[in-house]
Amino acid sequence: MTNYEIYYFPVQGRIESTYLLLTDQGIPFKKHIVTSEIWGKGDLKEKCAFGQLPLLQDGEFKLNQSNAILRFLGRQHGLYGKDNKEAALTDMVNDGVDDLRTKYFKLIYSDYDIGKQQYIKDLPGCLSPFEKLLQKNRNGSSFIVGDKISFADYNLFQLLQVHLVLTPDCLKDFPLLKAYVSRIASRPRIKAYLDSDEYKSRPINANGKQ
Amino acid sequence: MTFKIIYFNVRGRCEAMRMLLADQGAQWEEEVVTFDVWQAGDLKKTCAFGQLPKFCHGDFEMYQSNAILRFLGRQFELYGKTHREAALIDMVNDGAEDLRMKYLTLIYKEYETAKSKYIEDLPSHLKYFECLLSKNHGGSGFIVGDQISFADYNLVDLLMIHQVLANDCLKGFPLLKAYVSRICSRPKIAAFLASDDHKKRPINGNGKQ
Repeated sequence: MTNYEIYYFPVQGRIESTYLLLTDQGIPFKKHIVTSEIWGKGDLKEKCAFGQLPLLQDGEFKLNQSNAILRFLGRQHGLYGKDNKEAALTDMVNDGVDDLRTKYFKLIYSDYDIGKQQYIKDLPGCLSPFEKLLQKNRNGSSFIVGDKISFADYNLFQLLQVHLVLTPDCLKDFPLLKAYVSRIASRPRIKAYLDSDEYKSRPINANGKQ
Repeated sequence: MTFKIIYFNVRGRCEAMRMLLADQGAQWEEEVVTFDVWQAGDLKKTCAFGQLPKFCHGDFEMYQSNAILRFLGRQFELYGKTHREAALIDMVNDGAEDLRMKYLTLIYKEYETAKSKYIEDLPSHLKYFECLLSKNHGGSGFIVGDQISFADYNLVDLLMIHQVLANDCLKGFPLLKAYVSRICSRPKIAAFLASDDHKKRPINGNGKQ
């Protein structure tokens, strides 16, 4: 019996992939929204292994680092490939997603006004590895690795979603990624979630930029 | 089946996996990529994210240094005994990666201008690892659980390159200091660290450390 509780700020940030995973898999969890006031008090920060959110709690078990959380849920719920090779490729893709996510956050939080144009210009070079990976896996008709959804799919999907907000035609030259995003978005529980007020009212980032 | 590391002639993002392989008594091949070969672009085009290292095991090829560490973690049972231990190992490795990224930014982008501030701030990052150690058998063993994991090799490599940058950076962290000594004196690691292969390999690609 899982008893997941997730602590994070009221933004998509580094947690939305996890929310998508749990929602799509029909796994119940409790959301603790951490306002800056609560965070400012410091008690929660002290409980966090690296002084950062998100935090996942499962009973007395506490886990930090968003990608460790995704991997934990991947392991617990069969979303980590069917063997060691697929697990390795899933890890590899997730690391690539995280690299681009880090660039994205740098733009959003440090560089938005000056850096946005160049970021958009450079974006195709950052997206083409994922198009290639899709193409190599059943010609892009399935998931990013193997023939079953993995934690890396939720993470990649969410990353592509925030980029579509940043620049709505960023997938125009990537037909497989475009179709992949549609396919994931139309999974029944994900579709319902993306249509929900709760999702739609959550800002992507903490500084209002997107 | 052999393991093969394809990388530049640096410790960089591969020394942790080399320590892991050495400590586990595994053989591996090194294919060194010179800067000229890399600049030519043909190899880069074939890499999943246009980066090295590339890693091969028989005909299986993969990229991303931390994915490689996890793959080896699975192969050699260096990934904890339970899902929860595996999760904590992932968490520690991610924390190590966060600090490695800061280190690499210093080395490659702002060494002269930011070095002293980096050293000043270093305790605020190292303290988390000291705390994690203290919570695990009082810091007398490994970073998670009671057997070595891939995260230990990565963390020890990270701490060693920081000792080169600032040789008394662990003076306020007795558990980390003892931990580094303990891991480095494991016989196969000690032999690897004493080898020409390791000693002659620069830490970083631009000569800074």
